[in-house]
Amino acid sequence: MKTLHPLTWWIWSLLIVGAVISANNSWLAGASVAGATLLVWRYAPDAPWARSFWFSLKIGALILIIRTIVGILIGVPIPGTKIFELPILPLPDWLAGIRIGGVITQERLLSSIHEGLIIVAVISLFGAAVSLTSPHKLLRVTPIVIYEFGVATVIATSALPNLVQSISRIRRARLLRGDEKPSWRSIALPLLEDSLSRSLELAAAMDARGYGVSRKRSRYRPILWRGTDSVVVLTAALILTFTLVALN
Amino acid sequence: MVLVIGSTGTGKSSLLRLINGLVPHHTGGILAGDITVDGISTQLVRPGELAHLVGIVGQNPAQGFVTDIVEEELAFGMETLNIPPDVMRKRVEEVLDLLALAHLRNRAISTLSGGEQQRVAIGSALVMNPKVLVLDEPTSALDPIAAEEVLSILHRLVHDLSLTVVIAEHRLERVIGFADRIIHIAGDGSAEINLPEEILKRSDIAPPIVHLARALGLSDVGLSVRDVRRMTEEIRNSGKDIAAPKLQLGDISISTQNLSLTYGKKRALNNVTTQIYQGEIVALMGRNGAGKSSLLTTLVGINKQSSGSSKICGFESSDLKGQVRRERVGFIPQEPSDLLYGQSVQGECQQADKDCQISPGTTFALLQRIVPSINPETHPRDLSEGQRLALALAIILSAQPQVLILDEPTRGLDYQSKALLVGLLKNFAKELNRSVLIATHDVELVAELCDRVIFLAEGEVVADGPTLDILLSSPAFAPQVAKVMAPRQWLTVSDVLRAVAE
Repeated sequence: MKTLHPLTWWIWSLLIVGAVISANNSWLAGASVAGATLLVWRYAPDAPWARSFWFSLKIGALILIIRTIVGILIGVPIPGTKIFELPILPLPDWLAGIRIGGVITQERLLSSIHEGLIIVAVISLFGAAVSLTSPHKLLRVTPIVIYEFGVATVIATSALPNLVQSISRIRRARLLRGDEKPSWRSIALPLLEDSLSRSLELAAAMDARGYGVSRKRSRYRPILWRGTDSVVVLTAALILTFTLVALN
Repeated sequence: MVLVIGSTGTGKSSLLRLINGLVPHHTGGILAGDITVDGISTQLVRPGELAHLVGIVGQNPAQGFVTDIVEEELAFGMETLNIPPDVMRKRVEEVLDLLALAHLRNRAISTLSGGEQQRVAIGSALVMNPKVLVLDEPTSALDPIAAEEVLSILHRLVHDLSLTVVIAEHRLERVIGFADRIIHIAGDGSAEINLPEEILKRSDIAPPIVHLARALGLSDVGLSVRDVRRMTEEIRNSGKDIAAPKLQLGDISISTQNLSLTYGKKRALNNVTTQIYQGEIVALMGRNGAGKSSLLTTLVGINKQSSGSSKICGFESSDLKGQVRRERVGFIPQEPSDLLYGQSVQGECQQADKDCQISPGTTFALLQRIVPSINPETHPRDLSEGQRLALALAIILSAQPQVLILDEPTRGLDYQSKALLVGLLKNFAKELNRSVLIATHDVELVAELCDRVIFLAEGEVVADGPTLDILLSSPAFAPQVAKVMAPRQWLTVSDVLRAVAE
């Protein structure tokens, strides 16, 4: 497959995110996660940033689990088929209206999972866009006029892949110190410093090479918007229109 | 070509980045005085506006790449300066030819070897037709052959295009022959610029041939192997052969049997079979990408997808875990800072004491034996390269491992820290009868320190033997003193002194 325009997947994922949120439908959310997985598995290049998607899936799964547990434990009771019952935790009077525990109904469980799934879909679609697009290419199509914005975007989008790369390196080093289960803090600290310094290095390199000096910019090999790009974006736009028109 | 020398942390990198204004525009700080490049003061313009005058190549070129493909990377700088496409194409072609990159033009940068990446970085600075090219330790990550390639290209640029090249480097033996002048930065930040002969007569930072000239009491310091060879003919004829030191070998501490490792389709290690004994210091050499790091990580058991067997002190590498691993093998990765996560040197040492269940203060005492001047309150990130390595070493050694493995320990180290490291490792191996395995490109370190060299190419062991034989068998890997003294088999200054004394 010819490489697509770097903006294609970003526009695509933004449109699909719009569709998922407007449809508010867990089937569509699930389908979009499956679709994104398929696309990344099939088309993501063999590059360091391609692993970002799997990382975002993991984070999504974690959020889904936490969201579901919190959702069924705390909140307003929804009547319906009873699955099981938990003892109600007594709370002080001023917290009236909030209940911890109680009857867990099928409806309550489903609505928690439903909300969680929408969040997972949004996160994984963002991850897919990062995985499918090289952050460097993205930089090349950013208009010079929004120079500061361009630098910030590149640093932000290259931060996630850098993070994923650094995590595995630091975890390995930690294992070597005989630390079988490294604590969250002991990884986070070097990690943060590592990715920050890398992103700063990139910004310095761009600065040193004259990025943003000239308002106009020539193209060595122009990045073309091809037919395939239009097809991808149009498909996503159609799905969004459909959810906006048909489902509301 | 101007060479900038000085101990680590004296401000070489800062000086280089002053030239194109990255300091202070990008780092902050107060700048007194002024710098002009081609008549333009760096105070008045942003670094980007000097892009057509100054090309800069950082310590780690991989982190400075802005695109993915070699050709696009070369064009990036010109694109931002809005240079017309036809001019761009012509310049890219010229640079591709000049740096012998033409066959790599469509390759993804991440798949290139270290030497090739360095050439791409130099190329992307050169396409702008700069008047000044600034390089920060351009050869520290490169094997001797790749380093030679890069330096000879720079040499040609200086002579053919009358480019000004400013270069900071710790391994003087590699660059000294090319330098026209030297800027020496002393510990207090004062700098002196002069001819290499003048600076090296007095400086404590000097390549091995200068030390050789001083030790032999020669009237002049020679800067090239050829100069010193002329001055030492008599010594070569009169010196006695020195007996090779007898090695007392203990039991086997590391053994591998048909060890193989593949990443996807690429074979990183291919049937590696070798033994390393107690009390032995072994160097693992080979070109960039030969599989050195893969072998080390497999030995310590973090690459589990290998076939064949590798044992450390009778334990399978892949079974090593937690405390057992800590007490069998200590591993210092290429970035020693990966091992550190404390808020201060003191905290780091206390954590190590706790991990190894030794009495509090032991690790810190060990650290103070290595670097006495270290401040316990310092944050590990603020330490110099050498101090950070010392801290990592102290932590690893506090567990008293049977085997010590180091990956490129001398990258970014000055001569002083290197001498310290040599002493420490010799002590560890010989006094305690433990084994040391070092992956390195630094032939001078190998000559000083190692008993044996294992040479890897494409994941296979191509040579395995005493340091003397391996280093002398190929001119690219011969240390400077050996080149001066060829055909006599003396590797280091102390070898020569002993030969003369006997």
